[in-house]
Amino acid sequence: MHKDISQSIHKLDAHARMQGKAQYVGDIDIKGMLHAITLRSPIAKGIIKAIHYPPLPSGYTIIDYRDIPGKNFVKMIFEDWKIFAEDTVEHIGEPIALIVGEDKRVLYDIHDKIICDIQPLEPLFSYQKSVIDYQFTKGNPDPVFKQAKKIIKETYETGYQEQAYIEPQGFIGYPETAEKVTLIGSVQCLYYVKNAVVSALDTHPDNVRVIQAAVGGAFGGKEEYPSLIACQLAIAIRKTQKPIKLIFEREEDMSVTTKRHPSKTTMEAAIDADNNIVGIRAKVALDGGAYIGLSGVVLSRALIAVTNAYTIKHLAVSGDVFKTNTVPNGAFRGFGAPQMIFAIEMFMHHLAKQLNQDPYSFRMQYLAKQGDQTSTSGLFRDPIIMPKMIQKATEMAQFHDKVKAYKTMPNRGIGMSYFLHGCGFTGSGESTHINAQVKLRKDDHDHVYILVAAVDMGQGAKTTLIKIVSHTLEIPIEQVHFDYPDTDDVPDSGPTVASRTAMIVGGLVNQAALEMKSLWQSKTPLEVIKRYKQPEWIVWDEKTFQGDAYPAYSWGVNIVEVEVSPITYQVNIIGIWSVYDVGKALDETIVLGQADGGTAQGVAYGYLEVMVHEQGQLKQKNMTDYIIPTAVDMAPTQTHLYDNPFALGPYGAKGAGELTLVGGAPAVAMAIEMAIKKPIKKIPATPEYIMELMHDDDH
Amino acid sequence: MMTIKFMLNGTEQTIKTDPSRRLLDVLRKDFNLKGSKEGCGEGECGACAILLDGHITNSCCLPLASVHKRSIMTIEGYAKTARFDVLSNSFAEAGAVQCGICTPGMILAAESLLNQNPAPTDAQIRIGISGNLCRCTGYNMIVKAIQSAAKRGEGLW
Amino acid sequence: MVKHLIPNTLNEALEALSKHPYQIIGGGTDAMIQYRNHSDLSPRFKAHVMYIMNLKALQGISSNDAAIIIQSMTPLETLNSHALVPPLLRKVILEMASPALRYVATLAGNIVNASPAGDALVPLYLWDTEVVLQSHQNSRKIRLSECITGPKKTGIRADELLTQIIIPKHDESGHYYQKVGGRRADAIAKISFAGTYKINNNTLTDIRMAFGAVSATIVRQRDIENMIIGLNINDLSTKIEQLQAAYAPYIQPIDDQRSNRVYRKQVALNLIADFINHIIKEASRP
Ligand SMILES: Cc1cc2nc3c(=O)[nH]c(=O)nc-3n(C[C@H](O)[C@H](O)[C@H](O)COP(=O)(O)OP(=O)(O)OC[C@H]3O[C@@H](n4cnc5c(N)ncnc54)[C@H](O)[C@@H]3O)c2cc1C
Ligand code: FES
Ligand code: FES
Repeated sequence: MHKDISQSIHKLDAHARMQGKAQYVGDIDIKGMLHAITLRSPIAKGIIKAIHYPPLPSGYTIIDYRDIPGKNFVKMIFEDWKIFAEDTVEHIGEPIALIVGEDKRVLYDIHDKIICDIQPLEPLFSYQKSVIDYQFTKGNPDPVFKQAKKIIKETYETGYQEQAYIEPQGFIGYPETAEKVTLIGSVQCLYYVKNAVVSALDTHPDNVRVIQAAVGGAFGGKEEYPSLIACQLAIAIRKTQKPIKLIFEREEDMSVTTKRHPSKTTMEAAIDADNNIVGIRAKVALDGGAYIGLSGVVLSRALIAVTNAYTIKHLAVSGDVFKTNTVPNGAFRGFGAPQMIFAIEMFMHHLAKQLNQDPYSFRMQYLAKQGDQTSTSGLFRDPIIMPKMIQKATEMAQFHDKVKAYKTMPNRGIGMSYFLHGCGFTGSGESTHINAQVKLRKDDHDHVYILVAAVDMGQGAKTTLIKIVSHTLEIPIEQVHFDYPDTDDVPDSGPTVASRTAMIVGGLVNQAALEMKSLWQSKTPLEVIKRYKQPEWIVWDEKTFQGDAYPAYSWGVNIVEVEVSPITYQVNIIGIWSVYDVGKALDETIVLGQADGGTAQGVAYGYLEVMVHEQGQLKQKNMTDYIIPTAVDMAPTQTHLYDNPFALGPYGAKGAGELTLVGGAPAVAMAIEMAIKKPIKKIPATPEYIMELMHDDDH
Repeated sequence: MMTIKFMLNGTEQTIKTDPSRRLLDVLRKDFNLKGSKEGCGEGECGACAILLDGHITNSCCLPLASVHKRSIMTIEGYAKTARFDVLSNSFAEAGAVQCGICTPGMILAAESLLNQNPAPTDAQIRIGISGNLCRCTGYNMIVKAIQSAAKRGEGLW
Repeated sequence: MVKHLIPNTLNEALEALSKHPYQIIGGGTDAMIQYRNHSDLSPRFKAHVMYIMNLKALQGISSNDAAIIIQSMTPLETLNSHALVPPLLRKVILEMASPALRYVATLAGNIVNASPAGDALVPLYLWDTEVVLQSHQNSRKIRLSECITGPKKTGIRADELLTQIIIPKHDESGHYYQKVGGRRADAIAKISFAGTYKINNNTLTDIRMAFGAVSATIVRQRDIENMIIGLNINDLSTKIEQLQAAYAPYIQPIDDQRSNRVYRKQVALNLIADFINHIIKEASRP
């Protein structure tokens, strides 16, 4: 039992999933259930004059804003995102009503006969209307910029990214009693859904029950959006008192669910006489889409990541979320950090070149060290082992030799990114907003049940949490259980987001296990509850962005090598090498799997995945047009993990899920830049963009 | 309405229905075989893959009529074979299963590949699974799993 | 009511077609998607439907002195591994869709779908391929380039089935193929290009080039090919710009969700140059 917890075991749900036995929401049917489809706005902005419904056959029902018992908002941070459009529509695809009934053919028939009388208004697509703005400083940026020998300025842009989980979104639900609604869904955050539905139904929390189905990928896409459809479905169930299933098809899912925010970031560096960076000014613009949703939180993570893995003394950072009449953008693995890390990594690289310095040594000088101040004037308390990680990565990839060789060899390039990711919620989120609670229950056969709201969406939470309990209690894996959580059964341990599950939830589960161990009496039932307590040394001021934004940081290095065709401008990935510090891997294979998958998403974000809208209509609506990598597109990756245990994490674990995505884009962009010898300032770096750069002789 | 006859997981089945229906819908609805998933409904992702006379194909773009007098195996049937045991153990060991929504299709793609080529190179494996999209794994562990199944299952394919 | 027919013989199929029109389903990989309905609902076929994928008479590959004859419902996967199939066509097929689709998809489907981005059309145009269109009473053989009359349009009559694809035997010194898709597998072409050439004693005795996804139909211009046939290999490199200029008016791509016209045009022109350079390089090999 004393073996190293990192030693891998078969993922505990792998066999059921392979046999096709795992029940995803689409696989669940309930006798007598109805189906629901959604009526949506065909235009980007307008005033609803009237919706003309045809006469409905018996057993068919329309559900719209008039049926909402509570407020017409999806309860999140701001009260702005409507459950059903009421008097205006703000984006193409905005839900207006559900059509509910038994036969899908009839539903679509009704749908096609509905006439929406909507008076079009001029939609807004440019960054003009700021709905959130944040700013903060570190040190004393103004005088530094005034005294600078020169100021170098660049602008970086990033596009949409679609989560493209292979299982589209959906829920099935039923009335448990006349008052109580039960919803089973593909979700990341059971209690987000529950709280939103409680508010929509204006009912007692006991009247809403949310159960997780097997989740076929999420990546942030099932963080806030499911709350919207859960509210709609719950209202329909309350009204019809029938079980109802609402499953998105791919095109619907891609056209209306949240995506990664497109961004535009302007970076300025104050340079002194010795060519040192003395200060940085950054201004970030995120396209929030029609409703704010989580955009403010995404913006703060982006802003805080401004100096990434570097320390810069003086900073002036600001950013806005802009409202546009497009699909609302939201959570996606990395949560604002990928946009900012692309900007700062490229900027550091471009600064070095403009200052005629070797980019590698230039960037190394600014690498953050233990004891340095973070971008928000907090403290990097724990050991930082980046130099060792960088050395390992460069050796694995033969980075330095290749950089030399590719100076003269055309069409080949190699790029390296450094990055960090703050683990857990930003700022005081954990203590003020979440206040996580976990429960361990032991029965009289000494079997232990983990009762948390954490969702295994493929990232291995089930396996790692069970491993923690088994190791700590020193009982066999088979004696520990973690079933799909059900809000009637599990306390609110918080959402499955922000790379917090292993570190925060796992940490609490471990504390509970330790307490259970001390109270252990064989064959006697026992229950232990643990609540999150913020370590006292973490001080954070939400208003000024000052203090420790995160309790801990995970770190990483990505190297990507490419070949660019001078004929077709296509990028071929030749190799990917990564080194990560996630504290301690709770299961080595699981972390390496996160690394492979996250890096693939991050690299593809940088060069492959294209999504654009035209007048608010997304042009890529299916898996044929929205291109994600196939096995042939991805090169073999080599990943190395270093242990660097974090005192407060279970067995030293920090976050691993998001970290592996955030560095891919700048690494591949730098590699392409080397291959074509033109600076890259925009991702995805598509062949079309590469062609433009190669034919543009001004650069 | 037409009567369609086909072998399904080793048993002969006769079903009277609209023959233009997608095989995927017939499997999931009429036979309650939910291991084949709908990821895209347009032939692109491979989540709905099945074996048609031992070769992978996508059940979301195959009309039921086209399998008349032919033989289908779904993951539920394949899961009872010795080859599945080898593949699934290799998948579990390599970490090739994350959310699992692509996995039944991926396993059938691996079976189809190994059936044609029992000792594939990594590059051949990548081509063999190129119609099966996986958003979670980045594919490396899947390639490794199929490679190791090919070695362990020597003689089975 | 829509009627469904799974004919047992070719004759049964043709006889039925002589009475009224049917929507033909081969592998179905185009038709089932095009007429796709919502999940769990039957496709929205507007006519009677005939399923011919498993017709024995339409399976197989054979050859005679002059040509290779492919029965129209032979799956791409079978073509892929058949020794009689020209290597260039096999190369093209290997980059079409995915193994799962290639197992049911057919050349006939690719032809009748008549997409400007149909991959197999590009090499087939190079070889002056012919197709056999058979009706209950009749059979006619026409050039593929005459059969396809526009995007998604063919000259096939409602009572006809495409039964055979006849690829004239073709002597080549080498060939060249590039499919430029959004990714390296399982992608619809943004543009594609195929070329073959024949060299005798340092003289280019034949050259053929065809472009996909750059116009309403596949572009192939014998008159432009003739401009350089007969030239000495050593003179070829001086002709590249002239060739590009000659093709330029025929390359009229569009902007869509996959790419844009500037890119498509530029890459098409680059591919011409690359093909010629490829020939020069191959010819100089000892
Ligand atoms: C995910 C996906 C990826 C794809 N990738 C590619 C790709 O990379 N390259 C490419 O070129 N195509 C691609 N396609 C398109 C398609 O697979 C090909 O065009 C294929 O060759 C069609 O063959 P089929 O037999 O399936 O056609 P079907 O769908 O059966 O038929 C297509 C059309 O031809 C007609 N037809 C078929 N057979 C006959 C006949 N004998 N006589 C008269 N009419 C007939 C049908 O009525 C229909 O109108 C892809 C499709 C999908 C769904
Ligand atoms: S659902 Fe059939 S290929 Fe995606
Ligand atoms: S494991 Fe999730 S899509 Fe492959």
